[in-house]
Amino acid sequence: MPDPASLVIQLLNGLQYAMLLFLLSVGLSVVFGLMNFINLAHGTVYMLGAFLGLTLVRATGSFWGALALAPLFAAAIGALFYAVLLRRVQGESAMKQVLVTFGLIFIGIDVVRMIWGDYEEAIAAPALLADSVRIWGQLYPSYRLFVIALGLLVAIVLWLGLERTRLGAVVRAGVDDRVMAASLGINIEAAFFGVFCLGCWLAGLAGVVAAPVLQIYPGMDVAILIPTLIVVVVGGPGSLKGALLGSLLIGMAETFGAVLLPEFASFMIYAVMVLVLLLRPGGLLPARPAA
Amino acid sequence: MNAIPISQRRIVGLALLAAALAAWYFSGYAGQDRLGEIAIAAIFAMSLDLMVGYGGMVSLGHALFFGLGAYALAGLTLFLKWPAAAALPAAVLLTGIVALVIGRLIVHLGGVFFIMVTLAFGQMGWAWFARDRIFGGIGGLSGVPQLDLAAFGADLANPGDFALLAVAVATVVYLLLARLIDSPFGAVVSALHRNANRARALGCPVQRYKLAVFTVAAMLAALAGTLQTQRTGFVSPDLLVWTSSGEVLIMVIIGGLGSLLGPIAGAALWTLLHHYLSAVTPYWMAIMGSFFVAIVLFAGEGLYGALARLTRRLRHV
Repeated sequence: MPDPASLVIQLLNGLQYAMLLFLLSVGLSVVFGLMNFINLAHGTVYMLGAFLGLTLVRATGSFWGALALAPLFAAAIGALFYAVLLRRVQGESAMKQVLVTFGLIFIGIDVVRMIWGDYEEAIAAPALLADSVRIWGQLYPSYRLFVIALGLLVAIVLWLGLERTRLGAVVRAGVDDRVMAASLGINIEAAFFGVFCLGCWLAGLAGVVAAPVLQIYPGMDVAILIPTLIVVVVGGPGSLKGALLGSLLIGMAETFGAVLLPEFASFMIYAVMVLVLLLRPGGLLPARPAA
Repeated sequence: MNAIPISQRRIVGLALLAAALAAWYFSGYAGQDRLGEIAIAAIFAMSLDLMVGYGGMVSLGHALFFGLGAYALAGLTLFLKWPAAAALPAAVLLTGIVALVIGRLIVHLGGVFFIMVTLAFGQMGWAWFARDRIFGGIGGLSGVPQLDLAAFGADLANPGDFALLAVAVATVVYLLLARLIDSPFGAVVSALHRNANRARALGCPVQRYKLAVFTVAAMLAALAGTLQTQRTGFVSPDLLVWTSSGEVLIMVIIGGLGSLLGPIAGAALWTLLHHYLSAVTPYWMAIMGSFFVAIVLFAGEGLYGALARLTRRLRHV
């Protein structure tokens, strides 16, 4: 039986993973709510963010510089994808867009292998956060606490942006009823593009942030894509709260599953998904009630 | 879809069969082995076409059922010592039961949601077999016994005999599916693909039909999976990895959604391309992905659609 101290440690680990998943899933989820479109290459953007961060850290020696720049590059790549490929099939069908992004996964993995090679890499945590702090007599890496704090900060900023700004109101209106919002003169296309780029920026951020905790390798994109998609399904598309709740559930299920039921650890997150599909097929906190 | 006249379907179908038999007759062991592989891919692609092209359910996890069929056959023969002849139908049936349970959960989900969930379920299968110890985990398990066809004077260890069997099975699967699609059942399925609300308003139990299509497609994929073990004698989590689900979808889209025969040609083209590319470059996945994107963006109705357009034009000359 795990003692309370190690329980707290696991709780923190779960929270840290949940925050990473939140950074990845929130953009996906809101874009899905807006345009019924899901970017399956979202994990690819995350992987590119991590590898670009690696290059920047090697070139400049500064983790913070990489943290500031790599997500911008990731957002730029996302914007480029959108302009070159996704816009082309905009009005046609959401399905085509999704399949195009699926093809991009294949390309992304090989591009990364070509540029950075087929190795496992890691970025060291910045000197400021390289130490551990003592929590209930156990040492806990302070970098992980930073990840948790960053995730919470992003969640609060996004919530304020969505609830308190005019732009947020536009996005909420679009999610609520796209046709109605558009006929009131709101440029849904532009809102979609903005949210899409913000989502890519967050994915790039997640890539750099995850690098000192998880390993960087070609294939890390699909490894994170699946839990991220499950978060969107579990949380319910279109809502920030849903993405947050879904991230917490999946983060905790994965972490505690590995500790309590190691035999079935790889199965836990799918079990949560199945349970939610059974009980609340539209997700736990969808932005719109299921039709 | 469905606009293809039966006479034309017969001609194209017979042409494909003739091409397969000619390839069998004129090629050596390696070529015959490839033909067997293509026939398996063709069954797999036709099963997905039933689901995507006719049922309107785009799945990115279809390899789950291909792999489950293969693993079920391996388990029944290696651990329970069943003869392969009994294990093969049992493996298909077992996969059908799993598909019924999963399908019950997900067939009502809308298009994009369905894609995400099928991708997740596919990876669930992969994660399970990659971790488990009974079937050798990530390394897989070899030595799956083959059907004993000595009574017919055939030996499946011989690629030529195997290719003939696989082509025969693929032909039967095609005939059954064509029959199914032309039946009243098929008419209902294509009706609910075109307009589910209207079908529902007419009193059609939409979910039940979708579930039936999902399960039949899964069982045919399982059949293809069992044949794969007969060809290689080997199971590994690679059978149900996400790229495999992606590849079979590429075959269907290249060939032409909802044309059954198109995906067969797509399977042949893709299998050959895959072999050629992976032999000449380590970065074949990037080429494959670019191909996928290009096909989705520009090909529209695929090979079969192009053929149909061509014959229409010729007729009007």
